[in-house]
Amino acid sequence: MSLLHLSFYSTFAISSLGLAFHRAHLISALLCLESIILSIYIALSTLPIENQTPSLTLMPILILAFSACEAG
Amino acid sequence: MMYFVFFLGMFFVLGGLAVASNPSPYYGVVGLVLASVVGCGWLLSLGVSFVSLVLFMVYLGGMLVVFVYSVSLAAEPFPEAWGSWQVLGYGVGFVLVVVMGVVVGGAVECLKFEVMTVDSGGVVSVRTDFSGVAMFYSGGAGMFLMAGWGLLLTLFVVLEVVRGLCRGAIRAV
Repeated sequence: MSLLHLSFYSTFAISSLGLAFHRAHLISALLCLESIILSIYIALSTLPIENQTPSLTLMPILILAFSACEAG
Repeated sequence: MMYFVFFLGMFFVLGGLAVASNPSPYYGVVGLVLASVVGCGWLLSLGVSFVSLVLFMVYLGGMLVVFVYSVSLAAEPFPEAWGSWQVLGYGVGFVLVVVMGVVVGGAVECLKFEVMTVDSGGVVSVRTDFSGVAMFYSGGAGMFLMAGWGLLLTLFVVLEVVRGLCRGAIRAV
């Protein structure tokens, strides 16, 4: 596994653990959800770079739009 | 230069760790800001500058500001800060889980530094991320309309939920 793939994969894992083990405030669980979505955005942005297909670039933009819906 | 990208990746993980082991939401947002700034720099170093600037403007400037406003509505007078043993325990625990996962999954010997960057299209110099997002308007028009409709709907839902004063779901506003 390349080192950068490991970076966003472990960020996803750590944020999922934070979502599972939130302690006092419900809103810290929502913050962990935002961090999960951020790592998914980075992963989906590196996908068109590595496969050299530009049309996959609209997937992270769509994820941003739907995560704005979810944050609202 | 590749060590710079490596450090950007490490700071991304540190930002995620700061969000996961936050003592209170005020300090968790700091980790989110760090992670998104560093992620923006990471995407810039790979070459897709448009997508990274969209991340900056929409995520940091739009969503995080709205999130910080709503966090400040749920205010606590004495929030717990970073220097408590519980937070340190959570942070060390999360790092241990990830390290065990990497060792058991056998990813240690496969750690490479190679990264692929984006090309321009020869003489014509077409940026691939610009032309990719522009397909939102041609082939992805259906999803574009659905995303816009969802955002408009969410706006009205939130407006009704926080109407307050004996009419909304949240009456304390």
